[in-house]
Amino acid sequence: MSTNSPTVLVVDDEKPLRDFVRRNLEVRNFKVETASNGLEALAIFNTQNVDLVIMDIMMPHLDGLETTRRIRQTSLVPIIILTALGEEVDKVRAFDMGADDYLTKPFGTGELLGRVKAVLRRARWSEASVTNEKIVREDIVADLERHEISVRGTLLNLTPTEFNLLVYMMRHAGKALSHRSILQSVWGPEYGEEAEYLRVYMGKLRQKIEKDPLNPEYLLTERGIGYRFKG
Amino acid sequence: MIGYSPEMIIKRRWISFFNDLGLQLLALYLFIIVPALGILLAFDYLAGQQIQADVRANDLSLARAIALETDLSITKSLQAVEGLSQYPSVLEVDADGMGNIFNIFLQTRPDVNLIYRLDANGEMLYHYPVGPSSTVGNDFSFRDYYQRALFSQEALVSMGRISPTTQQAVATAVMPIRDGQDFLGIVAINLKLASLSETLEEIVASRRPEEDFDIVILDSSAQIIAYPNPDFLLQSADILLPEVYAPLLAGKSGTRIEVDINGEERLYTYTPIQSAGWGVIVSRPTATAFATQITIHQITTIVAVTFVVIGLLVWILLARRVVMPLERLSSLSRAIGSNQEISNRERKQVNRLSKRADQIGHLIRSILRMEESIATRINEQGTLLETSKAVVSTLDPQTVLDRILEQVQKLFNVNMCAIVALDEEHNAFRIRASRGLSRKYAVQLAIQPTDPNSITMRALHAKEPIQISNTETDSTFAAQRPRAKAEGYRSILAVPLNTQHAPPAALLVFRPDPHVFTNNETQLLVNFANHVTMAIENATLYSRSDNRLQQQTRRIEALVHSLSDGLILSNLSGNVIYTNRRIGELANLSSDELERASVDSVINRILTKASTPQQIRQRIDDALSGKKERGVEIPLVSQNRRIDLRLQVFDVTDTQGKPIGRGLILRDITADQEVDRMKSSLISTVSHELRTPLAAIKGYATTLLADDVEWDTASQHEFLSIISDETDRLSALVNSLLDLSRIESGNLRISHIECSVPDIIERAAKSAHLQDENNLVLALDPNLPTLYADPPRLETVLRNLIENAVKYAGEKATIQIKVTPEESAIVFRIKDNGPGIPEEESERIFQSFYRVDTSLTRLASGAGLGLAICKGLIHAHGGEIWAEHQKKGACIAFSIPTANPDTP
Repeated sequence: MSTNSPTVLVVDDEKPLRDFVRRNLEVRNFKVETASNGLEALAIFNTQNVDLVIMDIMMPHLDGLETTRRIRQTSLVPIIILTALGEEVDKVRAFDMGADDYLTKPFGTGELLGRVKAVLRRARWSEASVTNEKIVREDIVADLERHEISVRGTLLNLTPTEFNLLVYMMRHAGKALSHRSILQSVWGPEYGEEAEYLRVYMGKLRQKIEKDPLNPEYLLTERGIGYRFKG
Repeated sequence: MIGYSPEMIIKRRWISFFNDLGLQLLALYLFIIVPALGILLAFDYLAGQQIQADVRANDLSLARAIALETDLSITKSLQAVEGLSQYPSVLEVDADGMGNIFNIFLQTRPDVNLIYRLDANGEMLYHYPVGPSSTVGNDFSFRDYYQRALFSQEALVSMGRISPTTQQAVATAVMPIRDGQDFLGIVAINLKLASLSETLEEIVASRRPEEDFDIVILDSSAQIIAYPNPDFLLQSADILLPEVYAPLLAGKSGTRIEVDINGEERLYTYTPIQSAGWGVIVSRPTATAFATQITIHQITTIVAVTFVVIGLLVWILLARRVVMPLERLSSLSRAIGSNQEISNRERKQVNRLSKRADQIGHLIRSILRMEESIATRINEQGTLLETSKAVVSTLDPQTVLDRILEQVQKLFNVNMCAIVALDEEHNAFRIRASRGLSRKYAVQLAIQPTDPNSITMRALHAKEPIQISNTETDSTFAAQRPRAKAEGYRSILAVPLNTQHAPPAALLVFRPDPHVFTNNETQLLVNFANHVTMAIENATLYSRSDNRLQQQTRRIEALVHSLSDGLILSNLSGNVIYTNRRIGELANLSSDELERASVDSVINRILTKASTPQQIRQRIDDALSGKKERGVEIPLVSQNRRIDLRLQVFDVTDTQGKPIGRGLILRDITADQEVDRMKSSLISTVSHELRTPLAAIKGYATTLLADDVEWDTASQHEFLSIISDETDRLSALVNSLLDLSRIESGNLRISHIECSVPDIIERAAKSAHLQDENNLVLALDPNLPTLYADPPRLETVLRNLIENAVKYAGEKATIQIKVTPEESAIVFRIKDNGPGIPEEESERIFQSFYRVDTSLTRLASGAGLGLAICKGLIHAHGGEIWAEHQKKGACIAFSIPTANPDTP
């Protein structure tokens, strides 16, 4: 793995689009591998060191969501989903399967590169948090060094974004945090309007940490503003 | 009058004079008799009056005649005495002279017995005859006549008295003798009263003795002067007469009816004798006096009484012989009219009256006959009515027929009767119902409709009653004779039933004896047959409509039962009243179990298949209680299949809108949900299909626009050509979508132009983005006929199929396109060496928006839409498209007809 030139796996059944992503990333010093469907993608992922996966949802044989799910079983590699569907349901499904971000077709070069950079940055943060810090909020314990969070003694299985988001919320426990500030702090300065990300991730976190996800105890919704961790 | 209580008669008489013949007859009789009696009585009265007046006048004239005669006699005596007074010898009281004169005088007057001369002092001077006892020298100045003569110038008559000289009853005519003023005495003659009485006696004797005339002459002192019986002379009138003489003595005449001393009523007639101041009284018994009147009176009375008696007799006769029978008749007719039974006594009387030979008897016999006939008719009507009742009281045609026959038995007093009807199945007339006939006969009888001898058939053909009055003699009946003997009947009457809806039928009545059915009997059976017809028709229609209703109910039940929606009807207490089959399937309960179940338990059974039963249960309870919306969606999983149900609750109300129960409809909305999914799938698909080329266009455009990278000219050119290609693809896609929409709405127009197969395939392959490693193999049959098609559409089809093959078979796939002529079409086969199409899905992949599985895999390729477009376009060409099974890889084939529909 080279920190200077991360390897990006681009998976899309449409050759023109695949080529467009490949060409743009290659010209910006990314190492790019391409696959035209999920099966090819898994084959490459399992044999090569991949730092980022950019993957279309709708593909023959094995679609993007299923491929994401399978990758997630073994890896926390950041995954950006490309989708022609703008529906929130699809985004939620993508996040559910473990995607970190997504891009809705059609998208421009700027958006593509922005997301790629942000996702890579977030991945780096979580990996690079070498502080010996432990945050304890009631029965939730976040061990930043070991990159682990446990609830009532049970270790949680979290994606990097989920981990970052929960740590951020725990750090600012008791404060009402706006959507924008959360997004910019956790996802990156390119973000700010994607309130649905928060909705999805808060939901996922509640499933994982709350006793009753429908009546959350820790992650509370501040209507019209954002969210607050119980403090 | 007999047979009625008196009050009743009086009441009736008073109330209904004009309704009572007896009273009217009485009135008529009185109307005639009363004037007649009146006239008779008036005549009697007037005649009586007349007769009385006549009798009175007659008696009066008799009395007057006697009075006149007496008067004359007295006047004569007075004149005589006056004449005597002129004699000188009398004047001078010369005894000899007087003797002579008096002697002569006496000779001429037998009624005179004494003539005498008194001197001025009333002393007897001389009397002639000198007689045995002389009273000469006696003073008679006390005598009334002497007193009166002292002051009188004229002759006068004395009252009656006994003459002392003659010792006889006499009255004296007296003449005062005067010389100038000097009173010289009187000369008087004594008139024998006996002679006056003799006269009266003569008069009385001249009358008819039965007249019983009684004549008496009284003097002014009411002494009897003359009377036929001399014993009464000079007696007071009182001993003979009632007091009737006062007016007489006052000088009046008249008549009076008085009761005499013997108590006999008599008519007294009196008149005065002027010259002597006496009076005559003539009397006779009114009985004889008014005998004529009495006779008339008696006749009148007899006539009147006769009238009355005859009238009474006639009236009684009329009453007993005419009016009473008439009244009996009227009460009988009233009883008939009001349908009441008269009493036995009255019945006996009426029966007795009916034996009379006259018109009354005739009339009563007529009325009795009428009564009998009315009773018969009423009885018949009653039977008919009972038949009608029997008809409406049951729905079973057989029961109706049986009851009808029962009535026929009663009505005709027969034992055997039957209804014969056409058995349409066997085309023979059979006994539908019978009475009194043997079972064998009833079962075996089958009359062919063509049988000319059958009485049933004859009646049915003639459409009128036919009878056989004697089976032994009737020639048409010869064939059936043994049968008739066996059954024991000798005469038949058959009446056809005028049926319209029911099969033709006839009513038969059998009699054991030879019998000519009368017109009345026939007519009665015809009337009855009409009722029977009605009954049979009703029963037939009823059973038909009943069948129809049952059929309809069964149909509706079958319909409701077979609904794919579940239906539960419950009463207000929540117990199940009805469920259809679908509910049984959903709840997995048998119909028996459902019948006993409550709505709650049924719902709970259904919810066992739900993923979150509690939540749904809560929503259902809300819907049932009407708190929230009454529709609840229930997602279930049954046999690994997702079923979406929508529960709709509704109140079942009666006609007044009062709730009587509740209905629950469980609608299977799985298909609807599927359609919804398909719709959103269409949008997704279209969106995806459009965004794919758009993504490439936007991507390359932004690539070119990016500031941080400088692309070489070749790359720039490459990017721009990709943009151009993708734009074309986008445009083609839009056209395809439009075509698809036209196909769906049936508005696609296809041109049929002669085209070259290789050219079209080449163009399609070019636009299909074949990968470098793809291998396209063309296999064209050399004997291809001319292809007529719409080139751009056919190109689209081929391109879609090639693209699909590439997508599914991969970048290294070999794609074979084989074109062969087959029958009247050219068939294209596009094969690849990819994984192929599962056989069970080879049909469905052509459906619009269909996804082979629920994953997004296949949709991702756009295959669903692509194949749907292909199918539509090929069908528009008149061809077919299908998937062919092969060992390896997929094969899609389509045919285009060779005949050009534009050039017939």
